[in-house]
Amino acid sequence: MSLEESALVDALRRGDEDAFARLVEEHHPSLRRVARLYVANTAIVDEVVQDTWLGVIRGIWAFEGRSSLKTWIFRILVNRARTRAVRESRDARSLGPEEPLPFSDSSDLGHWVQPSPDPDPSPEQALLTKELRGRLATVIDTLPPNMKIVLWLRDVEGWSSDDVCNALAIQETNQRVLLHRARSRAQEALEPYLEGARGAARRG
Amino acid sequence: MMPAAMTCGELAEAVTTYLDGALPPEERDRFEAHRQRCPHCETHVAQVRLTVSALGRLRPSAGEHPSAGSERILELFRTRGLHRPGPRVRDIPLGVGTELAAPGDHIAYFWESEREFDATAGFLAAGVSLGQACVLVGHDAAHERLLASLERRGLSVPALIQERQLQIASVRSSADGQLLELDERIKDAVDRGMPAVRILGNLNWGRGTAGWPSDREILRLEAQVTSAAARLPCIVVCVYDVTSLPGPLLVKGGLECHPLTFRRDCLRLNEHHVPPARFLEELSAG
Repeated sequence: MSLEESALVDALRRGDEDAFARLVEEHHPSLRRVARLYVANTAIVDEVVQDTWLGVIRGIWAFEGRSSLKTWIFRILVNRARTRAVRESRDARSLGPEEPLPFSDSSDLGHWVQPSPDPDPSPEQALLTKELRGRLATVIDTLPPNMKIVLWLRDVEGWSSDDVCNALAIQETNQRVLLHRARSRAQEALEPYLEGARGAARRG
Repeated sequence: MMPAAMTCGELAEAVTTYLDGALPPEERDRFEAHRQRCPHCETHVAQVRLTVSALGRLRPSAGEHPSAGSERILELFRTRGLHRPGPRVRDIPLGVGTELAAPGDHIAYFWESEREFDATAGFLAAGVSLGQACVLVGHDAAHERLLASLERRGLSVPALIQERQLQIASVRSSADGQLLELDERIKDAVDRGMPAVRILGNLNWGRGTAGWPSDREILRLEAQVTSAAARLPCIVVCVYDVTSLPGPLLVKGGLECHPLTFRRDCLRLNEHHVPPARFLEELSAG
């Protein structure tokens, strides 16, 4: 455990509310996004994330820093979300209608993804139409669970390979195979847009 | 000799490893050599990069949407943090009867009938359904009955053991050794992202077996578990057979070492509980 991290763990054990608030601010939004990969219903997403924080609040005393605090928090989330998803799928009728992924419905886009206005769009930004986002969301939605979570953490959340392996307790080779397959599927879905952008990409 | 040139197929397979900077140097050279003379593959690499970049844009940047519910999370820290002295909020289904438990609970479970014994498997089943880890410590005969009861409840014991959600801890002849063993199990489960650990003890069952802790060591263990559990995300249930255990073990081990007792389907605060420091002092003096 780094010095900085062990100081943070000590602060949390002492009940330092500011330290905890900073931790929540840092991870809460991405915890919600990742929970949504497992359970569709927003109320259940919030329950899963809340249970995760409760796991952190209670588990911090047994946390020994074998992994980083961040990957440990996401291990709790993934464990909790998987258990919950199994229960929900067994008991699907008790739920309301499923809600789509954050951006698979255009009416949701304004809330979740605000494209920043750019006077001089790069080839990447030219790709970022609503339609393209919808396509990506559909692909992500249909990926097998392991590919979905690896692609999301690596490419959407921007995590390192080490962190992803650690959070999901998988081997690096396995992680890369999952990522490779998932990226290939995403790329196939974007094929028409990428064709158009080819010239720009090669110039850039 | 020059290594064989990379084919387009090999390049397509290696692109993720390449972009991670994880190709061995020789492979990387072959990759780059191919890329430079193959416009098709050069385009392919560019397209993968664009795909990754488009995926990254799905993430809303900071401050663009409110952290819904974070105020409620801070409230949880204030009210449920284990740093907080005083009584804990009891909100975890115990799985036996309709009682609720709190992290750090150390419960003596007194049983007479077979039904009462088998009900302790409900403690484990509830843990499983909450994604918690369950650790059994005690005699094999007790475990066999518990595992059979879990199977009857529709749970797959081999799958749970495979996932390490259900573990069988070794029995140690010394209280200190047993505490270390349990501590290790709890830390391992927490590290793997389990939100809490349930420990079900059937150490009384094997009394007299070779390598088993003596009654005195069982008492030393019981007294120490109370303080060890207090700061850990665990719930400990110790099973006491009312019909066959000797009185001193039932009273000192069961009654005096547990802040909570379970009897006749009810969980009760136990006013006969003796503070661990005093209990251990008297035990070593006696």
